[in-house]
Amino acid sequence: MLSRNAQGLYWMGRYLERARHGCRLLSEQIAALEDQPVEQIDSNWRRLYQALDRAPVAGSLTPNPDDDDFMLADAYTLSDDLTFEPNNPDSIRNCVARARENARQVRNIVPDSMWSCLNLAFLELRDTSIETIWNDRPDMFYAQTENTVRAFTGIAESAMYRDEAWQFLRLGRFIERAQLLAVLLDAQIGLYPTDDHHHESDWRSLLYICEAEFAYRRLYSLQHQPRRIVDFLVVDARLGHSIRHALAELIEALDFVSGGRPLEVAAGRRAGRLASGIDHDWPERDSDDDAATRAALQGIRRSCRGLHDDVAGTYFEYEIEDTP
Amino acid sequence: MPSRRQSRPDGAGEAAGKSLFAGYETLPKFYDEMFEAPGVPRPHCRELCDALDGMRPAEIAAMQEYAERSFLHQGITFAVHGEDDAQERIIPIDFLPRLLDAADWDLIERGLRQRLDALNRFLGDVYGQAHILSDGVVPTALVRGCPQYRIEMQGLRVPHGVYVAVCGTDIVRTNDGFAVLEDNLRVPSGVSYMLANRRALKRSLRNLFRRHRVRRIDHYGVLLRRTLEELAPSGVTDPCIVLLTPGVYNSAFYEHMFLAQEMGVELVQGSDLVVHNGFVYMRTTEGLRRVDVIYRRVDDDFIDPLAFRPDSLLGTPGLFHAYRLGNVTIANAPGTGVADDKSVYAYVPEMIRYYLAEEPLLANVETHLCRDPDGLTYTLDNLDKLVVKMVGESGGYGMLVGPHATPEERAAYAVELRKNPANYVSQPVLDLSVAPSHTDDGAAPRHVDLRPFILRGRETRLVPGAFCRVALVEGSLVVNSSQGGGGKDLWVLSD
Repeated sequence: MLSRNAQGLYWMGRYLERARHGCRLLSEQIAALEDQPVEQIDSNWRRLYQALDRAPVAGSLTPNPDDDDFMLADAYTLSDDLTFEPNNPDSIRNCVARARENARQVRNIVPDSMWSCLNLAFLELRDTSIETIWNDRPDMFYAQTENTVRAFTGIAESAMYRDEAWQFLRLGRFIERAQLLAVLLDAQIGLYPTDDHHHESDWRSLLYICEAEFAYRRLYSLQHQPRRIVDFLVVDARLGHSIRHALAELIEALDFVSGGRPLEVAAGRRAGRLASGIDHDWPERDSDDDAATRAALQGIRRSCRGLHDDVAGTYFEYEIEDTP
Repeated sequence: MPSRRQSRPDGAGEAAGKSLFAGYETLPKFYDEMFEAPGVPRPHCRELCDALDGMRPAEIAAMQEYAERSFLHQGITFAVHGEDDAQERIIPIDFLPRLLDAADWDLIERGLRQRLDALNRFLGDVYGQAHILSDGVVPTALVRGCPQYRIEMQGLRVPHGVYVAVCGTDIVRTNDGFAVLEDNLRVPSGVSYMLANRRALKRSLRNLFRRHRVRRIDHYGVLLRRTLEELAPSGVTDPCIVLLTPGVYNSAFYEHMFLAQEMGVELVQGSDLVVHNGFVYMRTTEGLRRVDVIYRRVDDDFIDPLAFRPDSLLGTPGLFHAYRLGNVTIANAPGTGVADDKSVYAYVPEMIRYYLAEEPLLANVETHLCRDPDGLTYTLDNLDKLVVKMVGESGGYGMLVGPHATPEERAAYAVELRKNPANYVSQPVLDLSVAPSHTDDGAAPRHVDLRPFILRGRETRLVPGAFCRVALVEGSLVVNSSQGGGGKDLWVLSD
């Protein structure tokens, strides 16, 4: 497959996963605005911004707890920043626009239905603004946008031939997911220490963001124990939004694109090390020690970046002398 | 740009109760493609006329709206130079098809085959022994001085003598019959709109198609691929073909994507290609892969910064070198622009006589070359009656339509013309034929032309169809998509 096409598909996967993650974070935050105390809303904004690795709009994180109106106006600015801001490269609209731009470049090798799905989403988002969604139902907007990404994923699942195109799309999606999860968990523990029992609803909301609440409830209990939640979201490969699951998916994709010899490429070796680290080293760390857990999560994040460089260096931008 | 017709799918307005052609007025001055006299359809159009007349204009409007929305959703768009906001626009579709009977098409087809044959021979000649120049049939200065003449092509042999593999020729009909307005021999575009318009009509008017025995055109991609395969460098049996595009921001990107998909070949950009030891490769996830035929949709200037424009970022360094070695085919060949220059155009009938010893089947439009003193004087004296064009421009840019221009515009144009007369040609304002187009008030006559696409590999091939352009604005003669033109489907009927 043409390297540029592989790259386009890979980035399409990444941007859409990023857009979906943003929708998830924001829809949880919008729900919190309705009935949560001001302090909690504030700390959740911090979690959100840290999870997206972005500095909040100047001065917007010092709300006046006595003035509810001010809080709402604030949420409006912050949501705009994360959803529509043209200068925020990771705003939801920009993510969808870039995914669509990539899709446009590769549309001769993906089914038309995938392109149409993204193009429609883009055309709608292009003509939407924070005013429109705020006056209407912001929660619905985020739910719908998330559903568009899900629809896209579903169309890809059912319509794509399982060739390299599929695998590079998958690779991008799951490298992004592993990285986003590591950053989110790091931010969560930083804000809400795992031995502090006053933040149950923040841990519940974390499960909601990761679409893990339902599974957690069935597997464990209604009691939201922070350390158990962290382990669940890192280790349990059966959970779609766990780091281990993302690794399993991307390892399969690497296996395919390396022609069944993943250990012969740097990305394959790195992904293997990362997975075995979670399988073996993670349970052995001192789980009472939040600093150690965060350090491990930061290590996972660095490895994800390394994975990206490995993939790019092997398949997209390799030197002519050492072709694979 | 003049505003486009407003459709009213709910059928509101005066036209709601009337039949489609109830208020249709034929214009005595222009050939009407559908009616031979007021209210009397031409024989081959009778059945269609009856069928369409039974439909409410609102139905047609609704179909048109649906088709245009689906063009937008599918991204069947083009970009207009110098417009930032509307980066992607659709070419509006006019749902009333234009019909050609078998005899008309036969003439066009034979005429186009003849013309392309002569043009390829001309290119082989001017880049070879140049007999036509030494025999004084075409002025040497005109050819060698043409900005599109590529000295780098001199003495190069191309597979089967084919320089122009894909040609898009603009044909108009006047009261005197068909005439060729121009040949597009470099990177002709529009074929995807021909196919998209056909698909849209077929979806909505399926029954009409069957009844009319409309000849099919959907195998264009297959013919194009076969043509390119035949042009592979000698010795290559299963050639790797790619389509070279300037990229997603090019106005015709949709078409590039579409054709790559139709042919099942890779769509590449200059940066995807690498030249190594005189061969061209593309960069794939499995390493470099050899490329044999490049169907390029990039202008000559941007193919190879080493050979042509050094400041171009689009090209592939060394590509022309590999081409000269015969290790890759570039279609169309570099330098074909010398044959579709608007001054050289005037000599095409002579070329046909010279190379083929035949009379041209399709006429040229009378053309005055401003590089000749007589032509210049005539043009300046009759500026209010002529269309003046710049020789190197296309797409309706840099053009003056004398009768529609103000005296100030004409005066300003004349100043520019005098500065560099060789850069201009003039033609009479043509009485382009009209065809019924859908408007809010039912059908109304609008000017049309057509652009069939002719392919040349080991043999000449063309599908019986064309991108038929229509000037949607009442009275306008400009059909270019960039200037407010639309498209309609052309139905070539079998006997």
